[in-house]
Amino acid sequence: MASVSLTNVVKAFGAFKVVHGVDLDITDGEFVVLLGPSGCGKTTTLRMVAGLEDVSGGEICIAGEVINDRPPKDRKIAMVFQNYALYPHMTVRQNMEFALKPQKLSKAEVDAKIAGVAGMLGLDALLQRKPAQLSGGQRQRVAMARAMVRTPEVFLFDEPLSNLDAKLRTQVRMEIAKLHKQLGTTVIYVTHDQVEAMTLADKIVIMKDGYIEQIGSPEEVFAHPKNLFVATFIGSPSMNLFRMTVERGDKGPVLSSAAFTIAAPVDKSGKLTPGQAVTLGIRPSDVRLARAGEPGAIEARVEVVEYLGVEALVDLRVGTQEFIAQIPAGERPAPDETVKVVFNQAGLHLFDSESGQAL
Amino acid sequence: MGYVNRRNRTIAGVFLLPTVAVLFLTTIYPMLYALYLSFRNYDLAKPFIPRIFVGLANFQEVLTSGPFMHSMWITFKLMAVTLTFQFVIGVGLALLVTQRLPGMAAIRTLLLIPMMISPVIVGLVWLFIYFPELGYLNYFIGLIGINPIPWITSTQWALTAIAIADIWQWTPFVMMGTAAALQSLSPEPYEAALIDGNSRIDVFLYVTLPQLKPVLISLLFLRAIDAFKIYDIIFVLTKGGPGDATETIALYIYRQSFTFWRMGVGAAASFVSLIIISVLITLFFKSMQKSAVAR
Repeated sequence: MASVSLTNVVKAFGAFKVVHGVDLDITDGEFVVLLGPSGCGKTTTLRMVAGLEDVSGGEICIAGEVINDRPPKDRKIAMVFQNYALYPHMTVRQNMEFALKPQKLSKAEVDAKIAGVAGMLGLDALLQRKPAQLSGGQRQRVAMARAMVRTPEVFLFDEPLSNLDAKLRTQVRMEIAKLHKQLGTTVIYVTHDQVEAMTLADKIVIMKDGYIEQIGSPEEVFAHPKNLFVATFIGSPSMNLFRMTVERGDKGPVLSSAAFTIAAPVDKSGKLTPGQAVTLGIRPSDVRLARAGEPGAIEARVEVVEYLGVEALVDLRVGTQEFIAQIPAGERPAPDETVKVVFNQAGLHLFDSESGQAL
Repeated sequence: MGYVNRRNRTIAGVFLLPTVAVLFLTTIYPMLYALYLSFRNYDLAKPFIPRIFVGLANFQEVLTSGPFMHSMWITFKLMAVTLTFQFVIGVGLALLVTQRLPGMAAIRTLLLIPMMISPVIVGLVWLFIYFPELGYLNYFIGLIGINPIPWITSTQWALTAIAIADIWQWTPFVMMGTAAALQSLSPEPYEAALIDGNSRIDVFLYVTLPQLKPVLISLLFLRAIDAFKIYDIIFVLTKGGPGDATETIALYIYRQSFTFWRMGVGAAASFVSLIIISVLITLFFKSMQKSAVAR
């Protein structure tokens, strides 16, 4: 097990920079997820840690040692690839044996290691099969077994679940979480799927265009997004945004738009100046139907109702502004109805419209 | 059979007719005629003598004759040597030209040139190179103090000389096929091996080579069949000589038929070699099926 730290790490292909000075500290045993849309530099960052890409600038340390110029094999890492990267002509056992070959262990040691990992991952019955004879989920488990059998200090996962169907993804995701708990090895995991990130990570690193947008626990990035990108990227359905202007009200500043006016969150009122353009963010789950006569309710027209069983997603419209409310299915209105909704005060997020940064 | 089906068949037949006619005239008829000749005593030098039916006498002569067995030995010896070098060098070159290095595309194209030259021209080019007194090769080895070698005029060197020319011409074929296969291999297992720390030799032996196996087997049989009927280069360089030092099966057949005018014996030898090639091809497809099942 080992800590990993990236200091001002840069990757450039010629003059084209794809990773711009990434700083990241990963403590021993931590499960860190690099999350972002495709092209954000997360896989490139992971490949630099793995040694599959040269580092153009900055330093990468594993267990306190700078490993920029070390070949991948001397970095005490193991990697699980998106396409499994199994050797197609070798059996499951041979795949694992080949990964162990450089360690020059005795036959008994190799057998013991393979037996241990195969038992842990439920691969005992599949050891003599070739990858072509396995299902996607089984192949993914073999890929993990091949990485685990080497007992590395850091596991690198590159979108390991994206080739699996939805049901298997949930299942393998849980297995990964369980394995991490059991082994306690440091993990760096790349994905574009926020559900994977939220469920697996101790710490999420949200990246965009080669920059880190926010680092934090799943709760932090969900409850306190640092900017508009993180706010809309995390959470499904994504956060509703309203362009508002700060105005002076009777009891402190209010936020107003052509459609409606609401009181500004009390804790933010100190940071607001009249005339300032702000973006109000509210998660669909923080929008609810108003009780009769509840003050501050906003009248909205129901456009579409999506029934999801336990909950319903209601597409609402106020003037030209559309937004979504996530409410208990039993309370759902009918399309074309007019309803009154209120925003949960604790769920209001304010961002500076110009910089996109949270206020 | 319905009307549409019948009409389709008629149309198909009309379109096939020219091909069938050409095939019949150039392949099937000569083959049948050769089969007929192989059972006859037919001396082209005395065409007026009746072609008597001799049963299996021609086949018996071919299979018990020293010169035929000798030509068989020469053919397989040449095949073994040329294929070994073509595959070792060809696979090596393929590994080289698939590296992402500047200028590799140009080098790859240049390396393919020998394969595109007609074998007769290759023979003539190497004739200039090997020419005993005025040849380039002897000139250049003379510069480093080696005495001239009678490349194509001594029984000791002639087969080697032919092997070198054949290797030069056909190594690019192996290289091209192998390079194409190499480029179709997925890069991720190689990255996995890089991270696991497997040595380059292990990666080649245990990852690359097994994945290339089906392609290498195909290339091997294509080359083997071609090598079995090698003719042009030898005809230009040595005509099977000196003596019978480079007389392969094809040259033996040629010599029987068109030097000694013994058409019956030549035809019988042709059929014997056809059977050998057929066995080779059958073995090839059997092994292909086996490796397809194994995967």
